[in-house]
Amino acid sequence: MGAATHRTDITGKTERNDFVRKNRLVAVTAAASMTMALGACSSGAEAGDGDGGPATGEVRVWLVGTDTPDEARDYLKKTFEEQNEGSTLVIEEQAWDGLVDKYTTALAGSDAPDVVEVGNTQASAFTSNGYFSEITAEEFEELGGSDLLPGFVEAGDWEGAHYALPYYAGSRAVFYSPQLVDAEPPATLDEYVETAKGLYDEGKFSGVWWPGQDWYNALPFIWENGGYIAEQADDGTWEAGFSSEGGIAGLTQIQDLMLNASNAPKDGQETDLQVPFCEGKIGYLSAPTWIQWSINAPEEPETEDGVPGCASTYGGDLEAFALPGKDGGAAQVFAGGSNIAIAQKSEHRDLAYEALKIMLSDEYQSILAGIGLIPAKVSLAGEVPQDTSIGAAGVEAAANAKLTPATPKWADVEAQTVLQTQFTRLANGEDVEQVAADLDAEIESILNG
Amino acid sequence: MSQVRSVEAGRAAPPRRSGSATPGVRRSPVRRAKDAGWGLVAIVVFALFVFPVYWMLNTSFLPNNRIRGEEISFFPTPDVFTLDNYRSAMFSEERAPFAPAVMNSLSTTFLTLVVCLVIGFVASIALTRFTFKGRRTFIILILVIQMIPGEAMIISLYRIIDGWALINTIIGLSAVYVAGVLPFTIWTLRGFVAGVPKELEEAAMVDGCSPAGAFWRVTFPLLAPGLVATGIFAFINAWNDFVLALVIMQRPDTMTLTLWLRTFVLVTQATNWGAVMAAAVLVAIPAVIFFLIVQGRMSGGLVAGAVKG
Amino acid sequence: MSSLATEAAAPPAPAPTPPRPRRRRFPTVPWLLLSGSILILGVLTGYPVVRMLVMSFQEYERAQVMGMPAEWVGLDNYVAILTDSGFWEVLGRSIVFMVVAVTLTMVLGTLVALLMMRLGRKMRLLVSVGLLLAWSMPPLSSTTIWGWIFDTEYGLVNNLLTRITGDRWFGHSWLLDPLGFFTILTFIIVWGAIPFVAFTMYAGLSQIPGEVLEAAQLDGAGPFARFRLVMLPYVRTIVTVLVVLSMIWDLKVFPQVYALQDIGGDREKTNTIGVYIYQMGMGQGHFGMASAIAFVFVAIMLLLSVYYVRRTIKEEEL
Repeated sequence: MGAATHRTDITGKTERNDFVRKNRLVAVTAAASMTMALGACSSGAEAGDGDGGPATGEVRVWLVGTDTPDEARDYLKKTFEEQNEGSTLVIEEQAWDGLVDKYTTALAGSDAPDVVEVGNTQASAFTSNGYFSEITAEEFEELGGSDLLPGFVEAGDWEGAHYALPYYAGSRAVFYSPQLVDAEPPATLDEYVETAKGLYDEGKFSGVWWPGQDWYNALPFIWENGGYIAEQADDGTWEAGFSSEGGIAGLTQIQDLMLNASNAPKDGQETDLQVPFCEGKIGYLSAPTWIQWSINAPEEPETEDGVPGCASTYGGDLEAFALPGKDGGAAQVFAGGSNIAIAQKSEHRDLAYEALKIMLSDEYQSILAGIGLIPAKVSLAGEVPQDTSIGAAGVEAAANAKLTPATPKWADVEAQTVLQTQFTRLANGEDVEQVAADLDAEIESILNG
Repeated sequence: MSQVRSVEAGRAAPPRRSGSATPGVRRSPVRRAKDAGWGLVAIVVFALFVFPVYWMLNTSFLPNNRIRGEEISFFPTPDVFTLDNYRSAMFSEERAPFAPAVMNSLSTTFLTLVVCLVIGFVASIALTRFTFKGRRTFIILILVIQMIPGEAMIISLYRIIDGWALINTIIGLSAVYVAGVLPFTIWTLRGFVAGVPKELEEAAMVDGCSPAGAFWRVTFPLLAPGLVATGIFAFINAWNDFVLALVIMQRPDTMTLTLWLRTFVLVTQATNWGAVMAAAVLVAIPAVIFFLIVQGRMSGGLVAGAVKG
Repeated sequence: MSSLATEAAAPPAPAPTPPRPRRRRFPTVPWLLLSGSILILGVLTGYPVVRMLVMSFQEYERAQVMGMPAEWVGLDNYVAILTDSGFWEVLGRSIVFMVVAVTLTMVLGTLVALLMMRLGRKMRLLVSVGLLLAWSMPPLSSTTIWGWIFDTEYGLVNNLLTRITGDRWFGHSWLLDPLGFFTILTFIIVWGAIPFVAFTMYAGLSQIPGEVLEAAQLDGAGPFARFRLVMLPYVRTIVTVLVVLSMIWDLKVFPQVYALQDIGGDREKTNTIGVYIYQMGMGQGHFGMASAIAFVFVAIMLLLSVYYVRRTIKEEEL
């Protein structure tokens, strides 16, 4: 449970996670969950009073946080209850805090929900342990098949079977106000760095805003310079790549920005980004796309929960571009997001599947796209409003999005805040090669542990 | 903190001579000066303890732009005073519902308190008023149980409660709390009961009371402070837990207040400190009320319990 | 209660395993009185402890929670823990923290109690109100308050420091440095724990007969000597109990650490034993390991408190 990870955004829905240590066990788990899935199907049918009609009941959907807009929630409930007469659908909102702990018990209990949302890097803790009902190949095809975001499908797979499907993804863009930055968006990553350093005024104005613990924004620099986080060798061991040539080049560039372009707290987290931005202290703000709603909000919040923005000043003419790559085009950025699955212990597996079908329908996903989330289906990317530079930047960045290493143990790296701690050292001016070596050592010890 | 202290001390009442001095001590000028000095120390101590609470209240009544500004607002003056944070915490559609959380917390805590006191009290009588084989083993077990870190038992407790179909029920949660507090309750109450001399009961029996009657009329009233003292711990445990509540109370409408407060601290967006502080105040109010009610009855009692230890 | 006298005179009753009258003299009444506690503790503490013991010899992970059969691994979990430097670090950290917190709590709590002895009624009431407020604050509330006071961006401390020193303190994170984290944690814990100690000590001290103290004063004993030689012997048992309780509570401290880690801080370097067990079990799903740690911890607690336990055993022999 990292504070840092929680607070970040949908790109950081990562928590502690788990894995099964022995493959043998895993295989048994998968097999067992398949038989259990069949069992759940048949029991669901029996619930239909034996008259051959469809089963009815209450389907409980656990959505996490407030990312899913009310419009989508209403649509889901209404459509489901229309399509499945006699059944009801209840959405129970969960908090990201303590989610893995809660799912560990709740999904194994007698009062388990039917459909659950889970952070994409958390998914493997459950897919690998039989918590989710398998999505069969036919169902997978019906729900979208190859149209579903491939990286997220992979995050929800286990041992070649589908368990958790993509729900939505987040994207990142670089925000700026033309009032503060009077320049064309940079075309390459190096130009971005140079422009940011040129905007920097120590203590007063930041070219980029880089709190020391922010590692999401660091990954593109590693990837674009040819480095990598960790790669799996043929013998299955993981090798971390911060010390590789590209890794060092990326880290050097990151440190350059941290020291020579940013006034952000050297040990800060990526929270409350709109505040310094609204104070007019930031040139380029690389952030998840939803930050636009926080920035372009009235100074006096309309809703009681609202946090003040600056619609009348720097928020009013907000512009954005996708972080440029080393050789132009969009950089590879880190994408986070959610997966959705049917609980193994769902009492109404067939009804839960109906709900899942609605949540992955074009209509429902278009609603999500409408507020700037990247929909679960590749073909719907066009539904994200792109009449502004922000929408366009988000879609462009998402097309080039990358995920963290595909191993359940990656979540342990995040849980132990390895990257946050080491990047803080970088922000404090410590030696790049030393930090890179420590990063690699820690990551390898966890991934190969 | 020195700044904080001086600011606070300045706000508090000017050091007055403390009230009537201990009887039997003559009031010389030196003595007066000394009293005033101690009075000053008392005010500083008071300020130190109250400061965080004051700061929480202060923040909870300020609008967000004041909270986040570089200006420090030490008091919610009328021009900025707002109840929005409370309104937001209690009634906002986007938050977990407040009213059920209060009810769940109150009923769980009440149930835990009552069951714990009754069962613990009865057990403590067995352990003090009778000598029997197995008594010592029981006492040692009670002591050792308190050393087990409860965090390791969560999963097993969950499965038991789940097996009884008591997930999402106040009874289920209370049962777990009772099991957690009972060893301490028995341990402490045992000290109190032992502190009441048997001779008192025997005297009452000589006067014609039945043994049970003697106990209820003589010993029981003397135990009130002990019951209060142990009740406080039962209260603290049940009111403040959030880990067991997290796994046992899974539905939004079965949340307890602590779980409700947790939903404020970590949101995917910026922390709304005003609302968080308002929520923290709301969680604390029932506890403060409880402590105020019982405080007069407990201080002497703690000693009686402690002496037997 | 009439059974009392006969009971005392009677020879020791037979082994009390089953609560039914095997012989005439079986002490029915006390076991009946204990039955409620035994039932609750047996089911909701005894059974989980047995489950934990079993799990500590198994590889018990999330899959097992879902019903997979668990694999026996013998002493593997224990070996893994005892050879893991991480565990010893956590344990060492917890013990150091406990010693510091208990010392501070006891010393400051006693000083406050002595202060209350000196004060008149009104001033004493004032101090009591302050203590009561601090005592009644739920840990989650108080952790949140202190986290807010030390907040990186808008916290009062950074704000005041900026004003006083002229340097820019906004953005300084107090929690990220483990030492800063534990300093704030100590604030939270000691602030919340002093009231209990102060009230109890005050109640104990005020029962010392006034003549005794006056006599000591007339004999020319200084304040420190009076405290050490006259007061302390009167309250020795109270002090022992307070120290033992504070030790248990501060070693097992959970919510404050857990909540403060969420506000900020490097988990790896700030875990105490309770949070470590929670992370290992609920967080990462290694329930077998978590159980084994719990047992190792209980063993260490028993070693630490062996004096107190032995004293209790002796007392009960009478």
